[in-house]
Amino acid sequence: MIKKKDIEFLRVTHLRGPNIWTYRPVIEAWLDIGALEEFPSNKIPGLYERLTAWLPNLVIHRCGVGEHGGFLERLRDGTYAGHILEHVVLELQNLAGMKTGFGKTRQTAEGSGIYKMAFRTRQEQVGRAALTAGRDLLMAAINDTPFDVAATVAELTDMVDSLCLGPSTANIVDAATERRIPHIRLTDGNLVQLGHGARQRRIWTAETEQTSAIAEGIASDKDLTKSLLKSCGIPVPEGELVKSAEEAWEAAQDIGLPVVVKPYDGNHGRGVSLNLMTQQDVEAAYALAARKGGSKSVIVERFIVGNEHRLLVVGKRLVAAAGGESLWVTGDGKSSVTALCDAQINNDPRRGTTEDSPLNIIIPGDHAEVILELQRQGMTPDSIPQDGQKVLIQLNGNVAFDVTDQVHPDVAAIATLAARVVGLDIAGIDVVAQDISRPLEEQGGAIIEVNASPGLLAHIKPAHGHPRNVGAAIVDHLFAAEESGRMPIVGISGKHGATMASRLIAWLLQISGKKVGLTNADGLFVNGRPLPKDGFTPWESGERLLLNKSVEAGVFESDARMILTEGLAYDKCTVGVVTDVSGHEELAEFYINSEDQLYSVLRSQVDVILPSGCAVLNAADPLVVEMAELCDGDVIFYGVNEQLQAIEAHRQEGKRVVFQRADRIVLAHGDEEVATLPLSPLVPPEAVLAAIAAGWALGMKPELIAAGLRNFEAKPKKAHH
Amino acid sequence: MEVIRTRALRGPNLWSHHTAVEAIVQCSPEEQSIAQISGFEVRLRARFPGIGAFLPTGHDNDAVPMARVLEVTALSLQAQAGCPVTFSRTTPTVEEGIYQTVVEYTEEAVGKLAVELAQNLINAAMADTPFDLPGALAELRDLDEDVRLGPSTGAIVAAAVARDIPYRRLTEGSMVMFGWGSRQRRIQAAEMDSTSAIGETIAQDKELTKKLLHAAGVPVPIGRSVEDAEDAWKAALEIGLPVVVKPKDGNQGKGVTVNVMTKEHLTKAFHTAKEFRDDIMVERYLPGHDFRLLVIGNKLVAAARRDPPHVVGDGVHSVRELVDIVNADPRRGTGHSTSLTKIRFDDIALARLALQDLDADSIPVKGQRVILRNNANLSTGGSATDVTDDVHPEVAARAVEAAQMIGLDLCGVDVVCDDVLTPIEAQGGGVVEVNAAPGLRMHLAPSYGKGRAVGEAIVNTMFAPGDNGRIPVVAVTGTNGKTTTVRLTAHLLMASGLRTGMTNTDGVYVQGRQIDSGDCSGPRSARNVLLHPDVDAAVFETARGGILREGLAFDRCQVAVVTNIGSGDHLGLNYITTLDDLAVLKRVIVQNVAESGYAVLNATDPIVAGMANNCRGKVIFFGADRGHPVIATHLAQGCRTVYVEEGQIVAAEGSEQHRIALSQVPITRNGAIGFQVENVMAAVAAAWGVGISWDSIRLGLKTFANDSDNAPGRFNVFDYKGATVIADYGHNPDAITALVQAVETMPGKRRGVVISGAGDRRDQDIIEQTEILGRAFDDVTLYEDACQRGRVSGEVMALLRKGLDGAPRTSHVEEIYGEFKAIDFALARLQPGDLCLILVDQVEEALAHIAQRIKEA
Repeated sequence: MIKKKDIEFLRVTHLRGPNIWTYRPVIEAWLDIGALEEFPSNKIPGLYERLTAWLPNLVIHRCGVGEHGGFLERLRDGTYAGHILEHVVLELQNLAGMKTGFGKTRQTAEGSGIYKMAFRTRQEQVGRAALTAGRDLLMAAINDTPFDVAATVAELTDMVDSLCLGPSTANIVDAATERRIPHIRLTDGNLVQLGHGARQRRIWTAETEQTSAIAEGIASDKDLTKSLLKSCGIPVPEGELVKSAEEAWEAAQDIGLPVVVKPYDGNHGRGVSLNLMTQQDVEAAYALAARKGGSKSVIVERFIVGNEHRLLVVGKRLVAAAGGESLWVTGDGKSSVTALCDAQINNDPRRGTTEDSPLNIIIPGDHAEVILELQRQGMTPDSIPQDGQKVLIQLNGNVAFDVTDQVHPDVAAIATLAARVVGLDIAGIDVVAQDISRPLEEQGGAIIEVNASPGLLAHIKPAHGHPRNVGAAIVDHLFAAEESGRMPIVGISGKHGATMASRLIAWLLQISGKKVGLTNADGLFVNGRPLPKDGFTPWESGERLLLNKSVEAGVFESDARMILTEGLAYDKCTVGVVTDVSGHEELAEFYINSEDQLYSVLRSQVDVILPSGCAVLNAADPLVVEMAELCDGDVIFYGVNEQLQAIEAHRQEGKRVVFQRADRIVLAHGDEEVATLPLSPLVPPEAVLAAIAAGWALGMKPELIAAGLRNFEAKPKKAHH
Repeated sequence: MEVIRTRALRGPNLWSHHTAVEAIVQCSPEEQSIAQISGFEVRLRARFPGIGAFLPTGHDNDAVPMARVLEVTALSLQAQAGCPVTFSRTTPTVEEGIYQTVVEYTEEAVGKLAVELAQNLINAAMADTPFDLPGALAELRDLDEDVRLGPSTGAIVAAAVARDIPYRRLTEGSMVMFGWGSRQRRIQAAEMDSTSAIGETIAQDKELTKKLLHAAGVPVPIGRSVEDAEDAWKAALEIGLPVVVKPKDGNQGKGVTVNVMTKEHLTKAFHTAKEFRDDIMVERYLPGHDFRLLVIGNKLVAAARRDPPHVVGDGVHSVRELVDIVNADPRRGTGHSTSLTKIRFDDIALARLALQDLDADSIPVKGQRVILRNNANLSTGGSATDVTDDVHPEVAARAVEAAQMIGLDLCGVDVVCDDVLTPIEAQGGGVVEVNAAPGLRMHLAPSYGKGRAVGEAIVNTMFAPGDNGRIPVVAVTGTNGKTTTVRLTAHLLMASGLRTGMTNTDGVYVQGRQIDSGDCSGPRSARNVLLHPDVDAAVFETARGGILREGLAFDRCQVAVVTNIGSGDHLGLNYITTLDDLAVLKRVIVQNVAESGYAVLNATDPIVAGMANNCRGKVIFFGADRGHPVIATHLAQGCRTVYVEEGQIVAAEGSEQHRIALSQVPITRNGAIGFQVENVMAAVAAAWGVGISWDSIRLGLKTFANDSDNAPGRFNVFDYKGATVIADYGHNPDAITALVQAVETMPGKRRGVVISGAGDRRDQDIIEQTEILGRAFDDVTLYEDACQRGRVSGEVMALLRKGLDGAPRTSHVEEIYGEFKAIDFALARLQPGDLCLILVDQVEEALAHIAQRIKEA
């Protein structure tokens, strides 16, 4: 058979949980590189140059060499197509805005040309697309045919933008990750669960599950909001609700000019007119507001002179503030608007005409929007405002400057009070003030709006000033310092007795008073109630338990096949149990051909144990015993035979073991025999010991464990279909 | 008859605890007894036979004024329109032919309309013209249904009221606040303030809902979104027939077609759904009844079977006629107020008929069941049967899990299955929807079966047993000393750690921060404090004006303090002409003390002491003299009493005694300032009534400094070039007597006083002020008030002069125009060691002026 120079995908799998490669989800591709097995990169003339020309950033890939340019060194010296593809795919993902670094490529058997390649991805569809695009790019480089890198990256970028979490949500999720709080995305959108089971909290961009629906309703009713705020002594622009242009002008005169006219129930500034001074303007603004708002009801209120600010309140704290700078000049009775701009605005050293200047020079006659703004005030650039008259040059609703550190404590107190009055746990408070570092009352400033589900971008990525870690504030609001969002999770792997042990552990947890989810070879159960499997894969069954808000503890049996094809369902567990390393014969299709290779699969169960957790390992299986050193937490060994070497050595080190002696089961902590339980008739006895050890690891009392063993029902219930 | 003015009394008031319309009615001499108007009563009763009696039995010869007729008519109209009102009253005023008429209402707008309609009815009877009584009653009934709370909200409010939880509507809609201040909660119809917005959004997304329920093992009909009619058929075949076609995110069952078996029917169903939404779902059809399971908190509270509107053939009538017959059932109303609603016979009904091969004029055979709509909503004519007692625990468990999984603490879980007696899974049923803000009518008043206490369940979820959402409220009234008592009481509460809101004549304060200014002693300001989320306790100065205008801002208070009535103040205004009238007005707060609360009453003021009989709670008497008969009796009875003994304030109850040395209470100047001692006793008693610890009370008394920042215009003492200057806002004979007593304990060689008189006092009250001063001061500087309140310039000055005629001590009198000038004049005359009392009028400005002069000196 003549092999083609091509890369064929034999199988592409998204491993959604911890796996043989890493703790994070990856895409695993099985590649047949065919004739390319004979052509490492140094044997293909021009490949290096073409690849580095197309993907110059490959230089920062450290690869196994471990330093800048590491991968390029390998590429120059000669590496194989699978490995090159791994780096090309990672680079394409990076270029598309999805930062990832992890990749690994292993040949299945020397000279076979079949490779397993895995690379980290944050979104399956993007990862798969990058893989396909990566192969095309690499083949074009190998064959010296043209390839449109820019178009491919653009396509992938679009996918990242539409499929990955939005920036605000991502900021919160990253903050949760920072605190080691796990997350699960519930939709293609921004609904995310932080934590597991009953300990979870949901977020939806800047809403939390504690955000009150009634409060959101209040915030969207500007009139109600204003009257509630006013009742509590919070300065608001006094205003009136009007239903005709005539009423609007009457109201404007009552309130005092200048005024703002805006739709009663609108949003995003549509149909809003500001700084209105004349009957004509007010009436025209009424018509606009009524049309944009789709209602005759329009609000006329006092125009607050000053800059707009957005204050972000999370819980009872002000966590960030951003401001926009509206431009004003004050007349002197002699100078034109243009001259006033030069004297009062363009004298700012930040303003200039070069590209380096952060701000532009304002020449009123050159800017259409300034002309329009002046028109609304009945002026032109050449008008000469009266002495002391304030003239608006440019309104800036775009709050781009971080001003968090400047906010006066009284203003912060009022903003947080406003959020409480409305009833929102997270709120964006719009404040107009000339100087945010002074109390509002003394400058006639006011709170003009309270927003539910505020945008966070202005604080995460302000155009000027410090970015604020609002995601962390939100996560801290949802989870107290000592909360991790995690429920007790017990993971069990192995062939012999693992299912039995999982049921027994679930039962012990249940009688300890927790609502327990269990997924194992028998099915899916919540407190013993079988749930229909409905074609879910083992991983998906596991995720169902993590999603379930009523589940307070989870027990997951994960066999080697599941770890190979899907990964573990959870990122970390409290207790990891491994019963044995056997049965590699059944896994030949995954190129698992020895006990040692199976060991590297099952070790995942121990790798994911939390530092505060515990591994429960079968002392009778030498490969299982070996896993002890991988564990970040404690280890309990169990075995029928007290004399097993691992048990004796572990006891000598003062650690915990569980074993059988005559007709008793002994729980020993070093020299001390903490408890003895009667022998259980349940089989296999190793499974009973594993369950007892797991129960002990979870902090259960021996009496409870003994009671649990006695009233355990050996046969699982069947689900309705 | 002319109605001169009407007012809505929105809280407990002078007349009763009820909300009421108060009208000032003028009757001509003839109208003062309607017996003089020939045939009037007969004509009136002919037009409104349901009107009640005008006089109690045995009073047949008493005169019935027209104002009384208005009162009885307005009350009867409301009662006949279905409003639960019973209280009304008419009283003559001191002015001939002027009456005050008070008629209870449950809805302000309805009460006002009833008064208006009653006038029309009386006019019609006078003029012998027709009056459309049914029309008037219908108008009242419609308005009432329009403005009163809907059945769901109403049931929750009723449950709260039964638990003694105060409530207040925040909007004209269904948003209601329960409780006060930091303990308040809110609802909006069947949503609680704890109901999650994310939960509601998830419930709106039926696919996501199904995904989450499925994950939690709650049975759901599987299905998917479809692109077009062709795709819908493909989906139907994947899922298995029969199927349901419905708009995604739809509501009230609009555009839903069920039990679709054929491609033709499916295509039609797809297009029906498409009229409502772009996104269409196809899912497995679950046979069975529609059940609604109501979950509140983590419990199943009620369950109802919902049947679609239908008629049963009799072999005689057409479908249209059968619907009319069914709709003639008086239990079927048009709105949301009855347990059944009329069946709508519209295009949707006709389309449903067509599916049964019928049209409007078909005559179904006897016994044939004709369905008129697929969905069973009450609002379109469906019926609800309560099945709460039948629900299998496993069914209830699935409903609760569904609610929990979606994240809603109050929701209606729609289940389709044959019955609720067996687990849903065993019948192949499923949860089809989870509804936020569910209607409660079908559980409160089902068409068939028992009503369920769902309002109670909601209230019990928001308020733990024994929690009535109230914060301690102290109401303070009296002629003198109110403001200082209010400030001191608030200070004591704050010293105990309670975040305290306070209203008085200077403004509204929360935790010492002023949030409003001006005279805030009315109910509006008090309501604002009760709305404030950071307030744990409230102290309200409760002025006469607010009580007269609107009634109280609260239904009940923990403590009511009446400092004194003395010889009164502002007599002659608003028909409060005598001290007895004033006492009746001021005791309104005493009448509204909670049963567990206290009235704090001045034992030495006989009128105040007499109010003890009007209190439902207990009484704390205060008075300096332990030997005063009222004090002595109260002490002997073992009741709470506050008095002064050996330079200590003593709070005694039975054998228990708490003593605080007056030397530890700076504002009393070691007990020298008598009226401050009174204020301190009142405030201590009030704090005791709230249950503040004695340590906090002691600390509070010690730290309360009566400088002008703390209580402007209340005995602020300054040093001016070695002379003592005292500024005070005292402005009635009692206050001035107290001030004179206080000042006499202070050293001062030559004594001066600066005074004006407010124009809105009675002549005799103005004269009396200077009579008192003339006995204690050497120099009197009279000045004319900035605001003469209806009097001509010089008039008040003349009255003040008159009071000084023959003054035993005064040797020098000066008249000056303008408050500041008068102050400057008096200050200029002072020598070291002298004393000057300045009775300020424009408090803030005058104090600022004095402060400025002292700074210059």
